[in-house]
Amino acid sequence: MADPMPRNELRENPWTPEERAEFSRRRRGRNFLLLGVLGGLCLLIYAIALVKLHEYGQMW
Amino acid sequence: MSESFVNADLGGEASDWLALLKPRVLTLVVFTGAIGLVIAPVRINPVLALTAILCIAVAAGAAGAINMWYDRDIDAVMNRTRGRPIPAGRIAAPGALGFGIVLACFSVLVMAMATNLLAAFVLAVSIAFYVFIYTMWLKRRTPQNIVIGGAAGAFPAVIGWTAATGSLAVLPVLLFLIVLVWTPPHFWSLALYASGDYERAGVPMLPVVKGARHTRWCIMIYTLLLVPLTLAPWALGLLGPIYGMTALVLGIGFLVCVWRVLFDSQDARGVSLTKDAPARAAFKYSILYLFVLFGACAVDRLV
Repeated sequence: MADPMPRNELRENPWTPEERAEFSRRRRGRNFLLLGVLGGLCLLIYAIALVKLHEYGQMW
Repeated sequence: MSESFVNADLGGEASDWLALLKPRVLTLVVFTGAIGLVIAPVRINPVLALTAILCIAVAAGAAGAINMWYDRDIDAVMNRTRGRPIPAGRIAAPGALGFGIVLACFSVLVMAMATNLLAAFVLAVSIAFYVFIYTMWLKRRTPQNIVIGGAAGAFPAVIGWTAATGSLAVLPVLLFLIVLVWTPPHFWSLALYASGDYERAGVPMLPVVKGARHTRWCIMIYTLLLVPLTLAPWALGLLGPIYGMTALVLGIGFLVCVWRVLFDSQDARGVSLTKDAPARAAFKYSILYLFVLFGACAVDRLV
């Protein structure tokens, strides 16, 4: 069965095992950074919402 | 970063994406933005204040990323910039552009949501000014590029103030003018000892077009304009004696540095015989100068 999400960069590039490992390491680093940024963004929006609600007296 | 892998196909390190934001430049931008918030007569919630500072930092970083995308050709031939992620091949140029645009939009939207529309508008103008007016229009066309382009770096204090107050006033406009007039002597001091780089890249910086001697005089003229301008907030009664005395002492120090630049040992063509040691010292002092000057604004307001 065909891979539903073919990762061409892993399958077609004539990379050495070291390059492949390096690619995976870098992608992991980028994904963790993105996770941190998105998590931070959620917390930021949540905090802004709390402050705004408090300022307009709709919560407390 | 592993030196053996400098192929954009592998994708950059997380740190390469952060490097696109020009983190060293961000320090001064964040600082001046925070000072704008601190000296404003209105106190806002600390969460919103931190959000405003974050937005200023992200916006400046976004503008830096777009600048690196546009200037990738000249960055590749300059010693100072050839290690940046795009010319070094660690990040593909379109990715850097997309990264910059997304961050710019994010910063303006969050600023509007957290503070007010005026602050978001000024933030958007600052990004547009840096990208379109300085990077794309002025930088490669005129030796006066940083005289006008310096406005891009002068916005953060105004943005900080408007984020807190929702309006403009004389003091943030004066702070804007101070950074605007401070930028030429700051950048031209750097350009004096990096003129070879700029010449190779074809960027018409003042030392490349008009020569080192003319540049030294221009540095002196702008510093002579800067010192009385920094005293204006004190003279107008907007800030107190702590700021005034600090501005005076710092100004005298800057003039001494620039005097040494002007009378640096030089050959008949104006080329420094001391490897531009005074210019290097003036560049370092100019950074310290702005930090301490703006710090004095905050101290004066808080004491």
